[in-house]
Amino acid sequence: MTANSAASERVRVWDLPTRLAHWTIVILFGICWWSGETDHMHWHRLAGYGVLGAVLFRLVWGFCGGETARFSSFVRGPAATFRYARKLLGHDGVDSPSTLGHNPLGALSIAVMLGLLLAQTVFGLFAVNVDGIASGPFARWVSFETGRRFAHWHAANFQLLLVLLGVHLTAIGFYRFARNESLVPAMIHGRKWRAPGGEAPYFVPWWRAVLLAAAIIICLTVLLNMRG
Amino acid sequence: MLLVSAALVIGAMSGACAAGVPQIVHARQNHFKTLGRTFKSLRDQIGRSHPKWNLVADDANRIEHLAAALSSWFPAGSGAGSGVRTRASATIWSQPQLFARAARKLLNRAQDVHRAAAGRDLRALRLRARALGQACGSCHRRFRAHGSWW
Repeated sequence: MTANSAASERVRVWDLPTRLAHWTIVILFGICWWSGETDHMHWHRLAGYGVLGAVLFRLVWGFCGGETARFSSFVRGPAATFRYARKLLGHDGVDSPSTLGHNPLGALSIAVMLGLLLAQTVFGLFAVNVDGIASGPFARWVSFETGRRFAHWHAANFQLLLVLLGVHLTAIGFYRFARNESLVPAMIHGRKWRAPGGEAPYFVPWWRAVLLAAAIIICLTVLLNMRG
Repeated sequence: MLLVSAALVIGAMSGACAAGVPQIVHARQNHFKTLGRTFKSLRDQIGRSHPKWNLVADDANRIEHLAAALSSWFPAGSGAGSGVRTRASATIWSQPQLFARAARKLLNRAQDVHRAAAGRDLRALRLRARALGQACGSCHRRFRAHGSWW
């Protein structure tokens, strides 16, 4: 789809909560990376709690958010994903309505990304670093050896996340240069160009996101401050 | 003159040569594991509303003893150039005064923890333990070749 062409219309695709969750994860992932590599564990923990909150928000938003944020609107089975990939690599094009939100390959990437990020934060909650002091908040429930094992899983899973991040960025480049679709601006302002016609996606009231964010912040604050 | 120089080099290396570098590195890693395990045990206790003070006292005592011995775990020749896999940074031996100062700081903080544990002052102990953790972290940033998580 070519942006700004005369026969195109601009439609709202991504709601604000979805975009905020996405960019929050991007920024906090960067802080976690830096603080983990440089041993700034106080910042690492705080940023990690933020990632956990944002991932939980995105997961629940996938069931109660706007149409394009809902898993039911974009998660497809293996056959549909394979068909889409074949169509994408061929030159017969992919029909526009199905790619207004996440396409089936993007959906797969999101499911894996959210799963790995959730696993990463959970491993971090129980991880114990080598000095035994800078540890996750739940490390007191496991032994030093088990906590070290969680730390190693935390490190191995981070490598998987880096690979997935590379695939994600490559896909963005592919859509930009091979298909002339800019995905990044759409994730900033929330709008995309498309051929006229077809239904616009539905969205839900903003207070639903505020309530959900407040519930997640309260739950995490209580959980992370529990004392044995 | 040549003999004196050779004697100095051999003297500096004697710590590493007496037991063999692999044994020294292995023992050092075990010491740090003990230190980490003890730190964690202390941290687990002070995270509780009612810690077991006898365990806290044992941990604080062990940490102080280990901190006092820490600088002796790094004899010359037991770094990365020895052929044995170690995450000890070359800075330990290239800037020995800096390392000695960091080790002294660790010992001072460990003694603070010991005093707070003896006084059974939980609030003070949490503050002192945090300061001790910061001493560990700042040392890792300067003298460890990799982050402390893996």
